[in-house]
Amino acid sequence: MKWKDQFRFIRQNIKKNKVRTMMTILATAMGCAFLIVLASVGYGLQESVVKDTLEQQVVTEIDIYGFEEEGEYRSLTMDDIDYLESIDGVKAVTRRNQVRQIPMYMLEEYKAEAMTYVTHFPSEVEAGLKLQDGRMPEKENEVIVGSHFRNYLSVNTDDENIYDEETGEVKEEYIYPDDLVGKTINMEVRQDLEGENGTHTISLTVVGVLQEPSREWMQDQNVYISESVYNEIEEFTGTPGGELGIDPGNLETDTTDTFDEVHVYAKNLEKVQGIADKLEENNYAIYSVVNEMEQINMLFTIAKAGLILVGTIAIVIASIGIYNTMTMAVTERAPDIGIMKAIGANPKTIKQIFVLESSYIGIIGAIIGTIVAYLISVLVNIGLPFIIEMAFEDELPEGLQFSAIPPSLVFIAVGICLFVTILSGMRPAKRATQIDVLKAMRREI
Amino acid sequence: MITVQKLNHHFELGKKGNKTILPVLKDISFQVEKGEIVSVVGKSGSGKSTLLNLISGFIHPTEGEILIGDQRVTDFSETKFADFRLKHMGFIFQSFQLIPSMTAFQNIELPLILKGESESSREQRTLEMLNKVGLESFKDHYPSELSGGQQQRVSIARALVLEPPLILADEPTGSLDSETEAELLTFIKQLNTELGVTFLIITHDEEVARIGHRTITIRDGQLIEGADA
Ligand SMILES: Nc1ncnc2c1ncn2[C@@H]1O[C@H](COP(=O)(O)OP(=O)(O)O)[C@@H](O)[C@H]1O
Ligand SMILES: [Mg+2]
Repeated sequence: MKWKDQFRFIRQNIKKNKVRTMMTILATAMGCAFLIVLASVGYGLQESVVKDTLEQQVVTEIDIYGFEEEGEYRSLTMDDIDYLESIDGVKAVTRRNQVRQIPMYMLEEYKAEAMTYVTHFPSEVEAGLKLQDGRMPEKENEVIVGSHFRNYLSVNTDDENIYDEETGEVKEEYIYPDDLVGKTINMEVRQDLEGENGTHTISLTVVGVLQEPSREWMQDQNVYISESVYNEIEEFTGTPGGELGIDPGNLETDTTDTFDEVHVYAKNLEKVQGIADKLEENNYAIYSVVNEMEQINMLFTIAKAGLILVGTIAIVIASIGIYNTMTMAVTERAPDIGIMKAIGANPKTIKQIFVLESSYIGIIGAIIGTIVAYLISVLVNIGLPFIIEMAFEDELPEGLQFSAIPPSLVFIAVGICLFVTILSGMRPAKRATQIDVLKAMRREI
Repeated sequence: MITVQKLNHHFELGKKGNKTILPVLKDISFQVEKGEIVSVVGKSGSGKSTLLNLISGFIHPTEGEILIGDQRVTDFSETKFADFRLKHMGFIFQSFQLIPSMTAFQNIELPLILKGESESSREQRTLEMLNKVGLESFKDHYPSELSGGQQQRVSIARALVLEPPLILADEPTGSLDSETEAELLTFIKQLNTELGVTFLIITHDEEVARIGHRTITIRDGQLIEGADA
């Protein structure tokens, strides 16, 4: 028997019991839609979280904490930097050392405390560091400052009310009102020698202001100094990095030979994983957003599997309907099946026709279910944030997606739906092949 | 064409533990030659239909062998027998056994569909058969819209559409009036002489039995050659 004729048989059979078949398809569609919508929440939230994580960080950045040697970590040296720069796919390797006290900066009557770093500017520029104003330092006493440095440079007054009550930031009228580029500011560092607390002032010129960080809520109020200023601080305190509260005289080696903070920048996102793997292989302790992504994705994979499992129960319930419909169809058509068997219809063909019929219900149900799921998904994404904001008066993060239906989810859902429906049609189909010819012709079934 | 050897058949009645055995056919042996019309007569309940059902493969014999052509059909699997029936046997039943939801045309076309014939050759062949049984103008009628004689002609057309060498008929005139019966018998004779189709016809009607070249009688499950019922 040809496929085409089998399909014609099925069409005729379905026509005879339109309402019953429609209801069964409806149940299957509802099961399928339920599965997809349920799991789509897992997919949607994962997408949102991943997107958010990627936006919050420089995705091509790999942080390196140290190098593992016999179970201990050591700081990275210039040799390490050379090696890192030689790795394929690496765009830049930045390295910073932090002054281990917080110096006071003064300009006229304005003052600010700020974290202070010495860094390698050429590699920072390569990594994407940009100025909003001025130029890069060229001389030893030239510095650049972070975009928010000026916001903290405020008049020193006993009046507590220099802070804005709402934002917690210094009020505009107390902030240094002018451009910083070209200004000379004094850096005051402290010393802790045998109980004597001396200070030392170094005069610096601001030559540039960094661009604002990409994220709104991030602030950069740091000051970036040259290596010689850093050395001058160390000389004054007699401690590595100008650290306070430890015995001076510990300044054995040049601390700028090792680096506090090393970041590797890949040329593009695709290269990050390869570089990260290679670094881990070579005993570097690293962190990259790719690692975090793996953990997030793992978590969501488990959640999605759980949701799909719950959704599958709905399809299994719908499949009971298919089992019923097919059993009734077989019973109703038993006389016809008996006649067909008598004149020589192959039992395999008869089984095939019924399996095809239940698959047809499954396929149509899955298609309708998928379409409905897409509609629900769109409605949820539009409606739910609205409702939540109304009900809880809480602003939701922008671009938050509750429900997403990637093609893979459709494949999984349709696959499960077809598998379950075909399975449920199997037994009735087998029963059809077992119909006794003589009984059927005597209309005894 | 048909060789039946030492065929025994009994039915098991009752449920497990309380079974009774009903012997129906006892040691039946006979042959039907190619091109013959053989009538099987006997009283009601003598086992005629059981014999035919065994030859058709609808039931499996308790003992003995049946050969059709040179094939030992008693060894066939269900699937193989189905294929064999489709290609080598035609059936005419007392109650016609047409599919009520199919038109005359569709009923006759059914064996061609099962065999996997192409649509165009199917149509041509079906129309040919409708023509042969004189029902061209009734091709789109459903069985319920046809008289008993017309229905039986549709079922004969269905039995002949694949040109099987053997036709098995169980009381083919049982549901027909005497006029239609005579018509049908003439038709059977014609098919036999024109196409050389072999017929095994079961009947309890002397009139019908007479068209056979030969008559076999079954009495109390045993076979007696000849018409001396
Ligand atoms: N499926 C069956 N189960 C039990 N007994 C049966 C079955 N079919 C037929 N019989 C019995 O076998 C005997 C012969 O029946 P059957 O072959 O139909 O006779 P006939 O066709 O000659 O009238 C009868 O007694 C009948 O009751
Ligand atoms: Mg009978």
